[in-house]
Amino acid sequence: MTTEPDAEELEADDLVETPQVAASEHDLIVMARTLVMGPAAQDDIWALLCASRAAAPKIGPTCAALLQDTLRYAWHALWMRGGARPGASIGAGARAGTTLRGRLWERHAPVPLAFTSASVELLRWLVATPFAAPASTIPTLPARPLAMGDQLLIYLALDAARATPALRVLAAQPFVRAAPLAWLGYANALARRGAAAPSFGSLTEGAGAIVVEALAGELAKRWHAVELGKRAMFEPELLIELGAAQDQTLTDFMAACDAARRRDLALFVIDAAAPLLARNLPPTPAALDPNTTLATRAQARIAAGSLLRTIGRWGEWDQQHRGVRFIDDDYAAAQLLLERFETIGASGLGRAAHWLADLASLVPTTATSDTVAPP
Amino acid sequence: MSRAIQIRVSESVVRTVHVEDGVQSQLEMLPILARDRQAELLAAELEKQGFQRDGAVARRKDADGLEITVDLETATVTVRLGAEADLTESIERRASVGVERRGDAEAALRDDVMRDLDERLNQRTEALRREVTQRLERKLGDLRKELDDAVGRATVAALTEKAASLGHIESVVSDEAGNVAIKVKL
Repeated sequence: MTTEPDAEELEADDLVETPQVAASEHDLIVMARTLVMGPAAQDDIWALLCASRAAAPKIGPTCAALLQDTLRYAWHALWMRGGARPGASIGAGARAGTTLRGRLWERHAPVPLAFTSASVELLRWLVATPFAAPASTIPTLPARPLAMGDQLLIYLALDAARATPALRVLAAQPFVRAAPLAWLGYANALARRGAAAPSFGSLTEGAGAIVVEALAGELAKRWHAVELGKRAMFEPELLIELGAAQDQTLTDFMAACDAARRRDLALFVIDAAAPLLARNLPPTPAALDPNTTLATRAQARIAAGSLLRTIGRWGEWDQQHRGVRFIDDDYAAAQLLLERFETIGASGLGRAAHWLADLASLVPTTATSDTVAPP
Repeated sequence: MSRAIQIRVSESVVRTVHVEDGVQSQLEMLPILARDRQAELLAAELEKQGFQRDGAVARRKDADGLEITVDLETATVTVRLGAEADLTESIERRASVGVERRGDAEAALRDDVMRDLDERLNQRTEALRREVTQRLERKLGDLRKELDDAVGRATVAALTEKAASLGHIESVVSDEAGNVAIKVKL
């Protein structure tokens, strides 16, 4: 015979105390949840960024625990952004040169994604800054050392703000500009004359490499969209800045991938360029400002070929991969990369070289208006 | 009660300005022979087009001021067009002011006049620069064709030399499209 617990006992057992935090801490947690949730977030990011609340210099243990709980979903956010799709990658460390297939968590052993106080600093700044105010009145967020989790939070912040005026303000902060993942994802937003990208070493090993793999699809789509946008650009100076930022980012990132024997991390470049090459959509700007000098316009056209130059680098790698023999250690990795480069192939490589030559020629071919796709 | 007077400021400026525009590009030469030999063949073709050789570069200055420089080692062509002009501008301006403010008003009026003169000269300089850019743009089409033809002939010469080094050339046939067939007996 069983006895039903009385009502008083039930209430006592099921009572869950709602965590109590300060109002500014609440805003901090909402901001963190909005960034981590990304496109699935319920809150309007622009409304959150426009609001301003002075944040206390320290957060309480309850807020810290809730933030920790929110940031724990960062891996989940990466799976939702494409990391859950089955794929293949090249092993690292003891498994270097071999290929790993399956979903991302099947290909790699779990690694911690470290967040430091820099993440709290970023969230506090996002909460305290009224982004609708004139840019000159917004306090600067100074650069500081960043763990991989901090970099991911910066990337998510840029992604959340991508369609708002806040993107420009965020991209101007030294804190954001110190994150290599921000450059890899948003080189177009970070482009500025004389700007220098940080080292990309942290993105080619450990958690950094897994994050890049998870975001590869997103990165390819974004670089593809920026490439299409070049066709409609009018200001040569902007194109020169964009090309310089892209050149620097891709050259340094590919060198870091090469040094870490993780060329597969740069495969998003192929995915970004392949549809353009297949559809015959060169990055030639249809009309640059005719009031600028011919020298500036010529420089801008050459700058527009940044992604194509990277395809040329991939072509050199492809030749090396063809020389890897069955008995060599890197055979499996080389075969994977050869297979992926086939979407570009010799014809795509030739077309990329032809476009580059045309961009640099004395009289470049102008893209016709009917082939100009919207950015 | 102050007395009103009319002040008049007149300034004129003559400025010599030089504007220039130019582009640099790579000539597409196929690597058939050694680089220095190919440079020689290209130089020979360019000399036929009126270029003058000066060591590793070939230069030509056209009557309209167009300067073309070809670096024979790197096959890089640089095209420049410049213009120089003496720009003259003058402005006269009047204002009515109280007699006690004459000194300050005249100085302020003169500053205004000088600023406007500068602005007008800058606008005319920019207009001259745009004119130079447009002239250069119009010339580039013909120049590209001329240089492409020279590179094409240098390439045929290089191919012929290469063929001669392989055996006895029996025939060289070229068509209107620029295709060349060299028959070699080994």
